[in-house]
Amino acid sequence: MDHSHKGPIVAVRDVYKEFYRDQITVPVLMGTNLLVQPGDYLALMGPSGSGKTTLLNLIAGLDRPTRGEVHVAGEDLGKLSESALARWRAENIGFVFQLYNLIPVLTAYENVELPLLLTSLSRRQRAEHVRTALEIVGLADRMDHYPRQLSGGQEQRVAIARAIVNDPLLLVADEPTGDLDAKSAREILDLLGRLNAEFHKTIVMVTHDPHTAERAKTLVHLEKGVLVDGVLPGSAPRLQVDGAVMSPAAPPVLAEAPS
Amino acid sequence: MKLFLYIFRNVRRHKLRSLLTVMAIGICLMLTTFLYGFLAAREVWSRESEKYNRIVVMHRQGFSGMVPLHMLDKVRQQEGVIAASPFAWFGGNYGDRTQFFAQFGTDPEQLFEVWNEFKIPPDQLEAFKKNRQGCVVDRELARRLGVQIGDRIPLEGTFYDVNLDLELVGIYDPPELTASLYFHLKYRDEEMRKQGATRGVDNCGMIFCRTASADIIPDLCRKIDEQFASSPNPTKTQTEKAFSQMFVNMAGNVQSFILFIAVFVTISLTLVAANGMAMSMRERTTEIAVLKAIGFPNGQVLALMLGEAVLIAAIGGLLGVAAGRGLYALAHAAVPTIIPTGAMPWSVMAWGMAVAGGIGLASGIVPAVLAARLSVVDGLRRIV
Repeated sequence: MDHSHKGPIVAVRDVYKEFYRDQITVPVLMGTNLLVQPGDYLALMGPSGSGKTTLLNLIAGLDRPTRGEVHVAGEDLGKLSESALARWRAENIGFVFQLYNLIPVLTAYENVELPLLLTSLSRRQRAEHVRTALEIVGLADRMDHYPRQLSGGQEQRVAIARAIVNDPLLLVADEPTGDLDAKSAREILDLLGRLNAEFHKTIVMVTHDPHTAERAKTLVHLEKGVLVDGVLPGSAPRLQVDGAVMSPAAPPVLAEAPS
Repeated sequence: MKLFLYIFRNVRRHKLRSLLTVMAIGICLMLTTFLYGFLAAREVWSRESEKYNRIVVMHRQGFSGMVPLHMLDKVRQQEGVIAASPFAWFGGNYGDRTQFFAQFGTDPEQLFEVWNEFKIPPDQLEAFKKNRQGCVVDRELARRLGVQIGDRIPLEGTFYDVNLDLELVGIYDPPELTASLYFHLKYRDEEMRKQGATRGVDNCGMIFCRTASADIIPDLCRKIDEQFASSPNPTKTQTEKAFSQMFVNMAGNVQSFILFIAVFVTISLTLVAANGMAMSMRERTTEIAVLKAIGFPNGQVLALMLGEAVLIAAIGGLLGVAAGRGLYALAHAAVPTIIPTGAMPWSVMAWGMAVAGGIGLASGIVPAVLAARLSVVDGLRRIV
């Protein structure tokens, strides 16, 4: 996978997202703008219903905005067909879910291998990739275990191995520690941090937990569908919010972090 | 093929549910395979009879009429008739009446000329011709009855008011099981006269003829029927194939009835299997959404779900067809007169597997389409 992308890896421009329930329009995102630079580790925070998962879904190509544009690695996701979008996700995005979402009838090895079944890699090449991914997450000795035979933390590490096995451009994590005890959560955050620091993986993570968000380099707050606040717990600025086009209810707050 | 493991594991995910679905499909296909095997065997008999250039002369009224034996000579004199033999069904009881088989009075001089595919040692044929109380049976029937050459075979008349005391003098080998016994028709008539019975004497049910070629059969049938058209016993002459087709046609309504029931059982079974697949899909909504999220295209998700339904149906079909074949062989061993061959046609088994595949596709298509069209975001249940 070519990771030598120039410019922001994610560009969300003036995005609106509305849902329709029982003939009622529910606005979730209202003119959101977001730029994520390659190698960033960004945490999206906000209360329940603020639109953070909706924004993550748009960035990951799981959903389409009602209005506005989402560009990832220069690709305008709105212009891709359903099948092209699926192919694009398979090649560019790694997913980490709150509830791990491993396939219970497959072993850890088989779960990690799943995204590679969509590629033209040989069985031997797939095995090499899977072993490498499981070694990175520290579960090479558990590859024959089924999810029910693993702890929650281990399951999430297998899910992370599945997310990185095809060497994606972008890792998206939705509340990755939301279902874990404190110790396991720390291990998962350590692992995500290592993936970002050592393997230069760009990560966008949704969380409502401030302690989890602290691990990110960049922090963004969403409230009622707009970015309202941003802090940079890390040293270098990675996030730009285009204040000029943001909702008046959401003043631009993030430009450059102090060195 | 890379995804077969996933399909296979999903089939095993709910073992009891899959087992029950497999059993339901298996039992359904066992019965329908058995019934269709039975009907197909009759069709095979009809097709087989086409090879031998034989015609059958019977009373125009069909099985209820009789053909006087004096007509036999006139039939034999027709140009193109190589051999002709009377056939008179006897329908007697043998032994403890638990063994049922066909018994026919015939002409030993002509029997093996008309049915020249039957093989019998020459000395046994001679013995049959010379012994008025002699009879011959096919090898399988001899084995089943436990009789050997020289044994007495007494038959108690049921349709005719006469009992016959026969001696087994020959055992023949037919290409297909006939499960029949042949004796001298003249012996029956002599015994009937001795015992004062008159009904049926000097008559037979039909005359079987072997002809010189297939080309002359239409003309020959017409000539024979014209010859007897104004006699007290007008005839209906037809090919052996047409004659055997009469039996198939007699079962025609039964065949339609079986087909009717089989179709409805299959439809209801498909709905039951579809319900199982729909339940399975509902339980895995999130899992399907995850597959789609990591890049599985709609077509592949559809194929995964359909593959699962077809695999379950194929396992059920395989077991059902095998069990149906076994049942058919058992039925052949138990009642060979009704099921004359133990070998079920391959076409019936192929048909059974095709039906199983159809059940799989039909039961899986709706859940599979729903799965393929599932919104990833809805499936993950994390809309906002």
